[in-house]
Amino acid sequence: MENILELKNVSKTYSGNDAPSLQNVEFSVKEGEIIGVIGPSGAGKSTLLRCINRLVEPSEGQIYLENKEITKMNHKQMKYARRRVGMIFQHYNLVGRLTVMQNVMHGRLGYMSTADAIFGNYSEVDKRHALELLEMTGLKEFRYHKANDLSGGQKQRVGIVRALMQEPCILLCDEPIASLDPASARVVMELIRDLCREKQIACIVNLHQVDVAMEYTDRIIGMNSGKVVYNGGSKELSGEDLERIYGKPMGELIVGGERANA
Amino acid sequence: MSTLELEQQGALSAEPELGERIAVKPKGADMPIYIFLAASAILCVVSFFVLDLNWGKVIERIPNLGSVVAEMLHFSLDKFDLTISTLMETIATTILAVFYGLIIGMVVGAFGAKNIAPWKGLATVIQCVLTFVRAVPTTVWALLILACMGFGISAGIAGLLFHTIAFFGKVFAQTFEEVPEETLEALRAAGANRIQIFFGAVLPASLTGLIAWSALRFEITFGEATILGMVGAGGVGYTIMAAVNSYQLGRAGLAVVLVFIFAYIIEAVTTTMKGKLKVL
Repeated sequence: MENILELKNVSKTYSGNDAPSLQNVEFSVKEGEIIGVIGPSGAGKSTLLRCINRLVEPSEGQIYLENKEITKMNHKQMKYARRRVGMIFQHYNLVGRLTVMQNVMHGRLGYMSTADAIFGNYSEVDKRHALELLEMTGLKEFRYHKANDLSGGQKQRVGIVRALMQEPCILLCDEPIASLDPASARVVMELIRDLCREKQIACIVNLHQVDVAMEYTDRIIGMNSGKVVYNGGSKELSGEDLERIYGKPMGELIVGGERANA
Repeated sequence: MSTLELEQQGALSAEPELGERIAVKPKGADMPIYIFLAASAILCVVSFFVLDLNWGKVIERIPNLGSVVAEMLHFSLDKFDLTISTLMETIATTILAVFYGLIIGMVVGAFGAKNIAPWKGLATVIQCVLTFVRAVPTTVWALLILACMGFGISAGIAGLLFHTIAFFGKVFAQTFEEVPEETLEALRAAGANRIQIFFGAVLPASLTGLIAWSALRFEITFGEATILGMVGAGGVGYTIMAAVNSYQLGRAGLAVVLVFIFAYIIEAVTTTMKGKLKVL
């Protein structure tokens, strides 16, 4: 399978901060591959995701998205490139006053003319597509509800549909379940996994829950202090690997799942 | 327990000699307040002597106030059609000034909001200019405009626009800034441009705020529009001033009451509207 995303030697240092947030990060993602990124807070997980769609400007290195070097792109080219990168957030980041449908249609903004966007002239094809996706995620009956009136799990599903409306080749999920109860978290993780499998969309998920990462992803990237310290199969992740990623002995970690009893 | 023991227990809970008092707040915590109060008192006394007031004369003339008010309450329908038409003029002036101000203020506010301005420096510069515009009273702006455009309603609207735009520019910018950065990030991540983000997220998220501020500004602008008439920009203010100057107090009184009734209606409507907006 083809590489959809490739990072080469990517580093990021925020101004006014000596310690780099990302240091020579290198990895590639294949079509439809689901990758979990784990690591302690401040390890650079969020920065990593935001460098991939250049919401954060990498200081060094090259990023290739669908074989195009996005780190070389100008402002306008980058906007076009971003349409192929869906993003899902911990706090859903919906516009609370707008309906589910309106929020979902925001995923199409990048494909629309500015005038159409101002007047909300969404195409009928796009709206039909939105309804299909809402049906698949069990939200069709909520389509005219205000986003503010939904539960956390429902909001995150709206976030997923909005991202899918972009027809992305890759999804970036920044702690998608960190604000959800365990039941909603499971629904959301299963949706992300199943939709990505079905549509052959690659996915990078930042997670704090090691057991969730091991269960739902194909590969895990472990980060510590801006460096990739583990990059391998999610089933092969060992206790020593975890100690290296989190910089703490296993006894001081809650990793959940089977490992908790080991 | 014996009576003696009980007495001894009671003695323990009585206030013992402890010497120094324990403060419940750091020494000098309220110092700024005392300094403020003292400064205010000094300023009051100084002002009193600077102005060389003659309160005796004022008190002596208080009965005159009663007779003036009584005369004003003898409403006169003399030139009533003129009073009504100038009131309508003032209302129309207010509506247009608020409408133009709203449109221009929205643009100014968008560029003056730190989270959506193309660059942050521009937002700061705009807010500085708006502060300056607000610092100069509306009547002064109106007089400046009158000096170059001549007397009349259009000059009145132009004069009112200064403060209306400066007001909207500030409060709209604040309303836009309250839209969470995360929401903007989500649309940016979808490849939306600045204008699409503004109309897609920022404007809908701040709509209730904009309407509430516009209602408040309508009240203020109506008051200013009335006063502007008195400096020669036409409208009901001019009618009131002309009537008072020619001692037609009954006619002036009726005009004042009409202004009051309209202001009250605005107040009532906006209050109801704000209640409804909260549900949105």
